[in-house]
Amino acid sequence: MKRILSFWKRGDSFILITAGGLLFSIFMVVLIVGIIMVKGLGFFWPSDIELFQLKNGERFLGQVWDTEQARLTDKNGKVRIVNQTNIKIGNRDIYGRDFVWINNDDIVKKSTPKNGVEFERWEYGNMYGFIKSFTPVSSKDRINKDNFFSEAQKSLKKALALKSQIEEKQNAINKLLTPLSKLQTEISLSEINKTRSKAEIENLRKQEEGIKNSISAKLELLQSELLKLKEENAGIKMTIVTADGKSVTLPLYKFVRFFRPNQMSVMEKAGFYLTKVWEFLTEDPRESNTEGGVFPAIFGTVLMVILMSIAVVPFGVLAALYLNEYAKQGFIVRMIRLAIANLAGVPSIVFGIFGLGFFVYILGGTIDRLFFSSTLPEPTFGTGGILWASLTLALLTLPVVVVATEEGILAVPKANKEGSLALGSTKWQMIRKIVLPNAMPGILTGVILAISRGAGEVAPLMITGVVKLAPSLPLDGTFPFIHLERKFMHLGFHIYDVGFQSPNVEAALPMVYTTALLLIVIVVALNLLAIYMRNNLKKKYKTSTF
Amino acid sequence: MNVDIGNAVRKNEEAETSEERIVLETKDLNFYYTPEVKTLKNINISIPEKKVTAFIGPSGCGKSTLLRCFNRMNDLIPGVKLEGKIEIDGQDIYSPEVNLEDLRKKVGMVFQKSNPFPMDIWENVAFGPKVNGVTDKVELEELVVSSLKQADLWREVKDRLKTSALDLSGGQQQRLCIARALANKPEIILMDEPASALDPISTNKIEETIEELRANYTIIIVTHNMQQAARVSDYTAFLMTGDLVEFNSTSTLFTNPDEKLTEDYITGRFG
Ligand SMILES: Nc1ncnc2c1ncn2[C@@H]1O[C@H](COP(=O)(O)OP(=O)(O)OP(=O)(O)O)[C@@H](O)[C@H]1O
Ligand SMILES: [Mg+2]
Repeated sequence: MKRILSFWKRGDSFILITAGGLLFSIFMVVLIVGIIMVKGLGFFWPSDIELFQLKNGERFLGQVWDTEQARLTDKNGKVRIVNQTNIKIGNRDIYGRDFVWINNDDIVKKSTPKNGVEFERWEYGNMYGFIKSFTPVSSKDRINKDNFFSEAQKSLKKALALKSQIEEKQNAINKLLTPLSKLQTEISLSEINKTRSKAEIENLRKQEEGIKNSISAKLELLQSELLKLKEENAGIKMTIVTADGKSVTLPLYKFVRFFRPNQMSVMEKAGFYLTKVWEFLTEDPRESNTEGGVFPAIFGTVLMVILMSIAVVPFGVLAALYLNEYAKQGFIVRMIRLAIANLAGVPSIVFGIFGLGFFVYILGGTIDRLFFSSTLPEPTFGTGGILWASLTLALLTLPVVVVATEEGILAVPKANKEGSLALGSTKWQMIRKIVLPNAMPGILTGVILAISRGAGEVAPLMITGVVKLAPSLPLDGTFPFIHLERKFMHLGFHIYDVGFQSPNVEAALPMVYTTALLLIVIVVALNLLAIYMRNNLKKKYKTSTF
Repeated sequence: MNVDIGNAVRKNEEAETSEERIVLETKDLNFYYTPEVKTLKNINISIPEKKVTAFIGPSGCGKSTLLRCFNRMNDLIPGVKLEGKIEIDGQDIYSPEVNLEDLRKKVGMVFQKSNPFPMDIWENVAFGPKVNGVTDKVELEELVVSSLKQADLWREVKDRLKTSALDLSGGQQQRLCIARALANKPEIILMDEPASALDPISTNKIEETIEELRANYTIIIVTHNMQQAARVSDYTAFLMTGDLVEFNSTSTLFTNPDEKLTEDYITGRFG
């Protein structure tokens, strides 16, 4: 008994317990990051295409996705355990499904055909098959066995070049039509709302006619060119044979790329991998976010975090300054401190609802009525947007900034503050020249914490401006360049959307891990930036060591 | 405690005889940190211009408190109360029309613990003039150089004016704080135990600096070190538990005090 008592007294057990706690935390972090990395990083690696022949004569071509043990009950009620393989067979438009589970026992033959081709398409997911023929770019008789595949690639290049030409033409036409459609909406709006007199509307109609006449020649030319391009592109085709011998002919512009993973060396695969990663980081999503890149989401996340920081830092710092330097310390200030600290514990969705009610409906609605009344009832600011989402998050992270700044201010030596005042500085001069620079590391700690908290929030964003697919970035080349009213994409929401809302969850799952990994990387990068800034400042303002 | 004051007294004798102007005067000064506790009791003291006045007394008797009344640093502490008057050049410094910043510019202060700002040396010295509205580059430069020279620091730092003040030694930091106060061209300099945290050599340096400043500034210095008081000051005030026990020329106070209490204190019978 005594021994046990002294054991507790010495506290040896607490060393073990605390060490255990630390170990557990580290283990969990490593586990989370590890799983995400393993599952996320492999996504872009071009794995081999395999051909499976089954007992019942079925043939499947595709990539092994998953293996699993399953318990099957046969006719006699006997349970047996079988190994199953999930194969991504693609060709959704032909088979109606992307994946197939097969029993390993049923496999008669398994091979990796050298000329199995994986096709990436803009729509309908991947295709797996063999190339039978294609429309060549150069003369037909130049194609032989050796250059067959590279010639096919050339045709693809041609088709894609035509595709972008077509897009350009389409844009030109749209641009030409913009003034006309603007005028037309104005006319119909004023007809509905009765904001204009008959004569005025008549006048507008004349203008409409004038515009129509002035652009008609050019429009016709563009449209005929567009038609010609489209016809030409539709003529570049490829015929593909699937594993079960069906042949399909598709225009080549439907493909993003095609390649033969079974013939690629490790180096080639690595190069391909990097291309895919680059595409992931820089391109728009396709296929309801399950393919392509996440650039708009990266952009939205970073811009939102920056806007949030811009909003939260001045407010947080001013509040902390007032609380510490000006307010008379006492009951009220203590209550305010308590309230701020408690604000940090409010569930984020509550902030979201507040953001929706206050920022979007009240503020946004008022702005619309005052400045954008011509476009009503179509809201401009009176609907979710990146500005409102950032402000909501700023509110959410305000307590963190206030508390950290207060700590920074409290750490400023009293002797320095007195020294400044004794030299005849006003209080404000003291704050500006002594307190703020010295509290800078504390302020930046607050920013770091705010970024960590803000970048990972999803719930409040879902009702204040995040969307599955934003038509345009909040920052672009058209005046006024930054469009704070626009909806935006966010990596956190992207994860949720791809993982749980997409029509093809199975295929999208790796994308979820990859996106999660990216979000972690971005949060860490933003934090490192702030930490780097803080360390620089710390060096500059190291406090007196007397 | 044995006080060797012979030299110091002889040196200061002639000062006593000349005509003196009173620059700072307190009238029935009472000071409270809390309503119940009177920290300073009925202080009447007249500080002569361009002399060194020392405040001595046992710890906690109110020397610092009295000193901090002179530049109103006590205003920063919530809940304090002051009764009576403090006049500088005949002007009541607690009257509403007094500008606090101007007062503190006129009455400089050097703290017990040196408190250089975390900036470079040049910026430290230029801080006072800058916050008081000096913008002219040449003038600032001149002020910085002359202040550093007066504080006897110029030779040591002239090649490193742009390095951090925090890299200076303790004694240099304290002289920097003196230079910083001088850059405001004050009339009165308050020093609260400026050398108590320093080694003997640095202390010596500070005393030399005071020696050089005495011709142009009124200096009030709080010290625990009675030899120091005897060495540097012309007048000495002895305070005890908030009372001004005796205020006399340093030579009189140390050789032939009027009060029994003073004698007990300087001969080390208590304190
Ligand atoms: N901010 C304060 N609030 C309340 N009481 C204080 C405060 N500062 C000082 N006192 C009290 O006032 C009395 C005088 O303090 P003061 O600092 O003036 O003494 P001192 O003579 O300078 O002592 P020392 O020689 O130790 O520096 C002390 O009893 C002290 O406890
Ligand atoms: Mg003191």
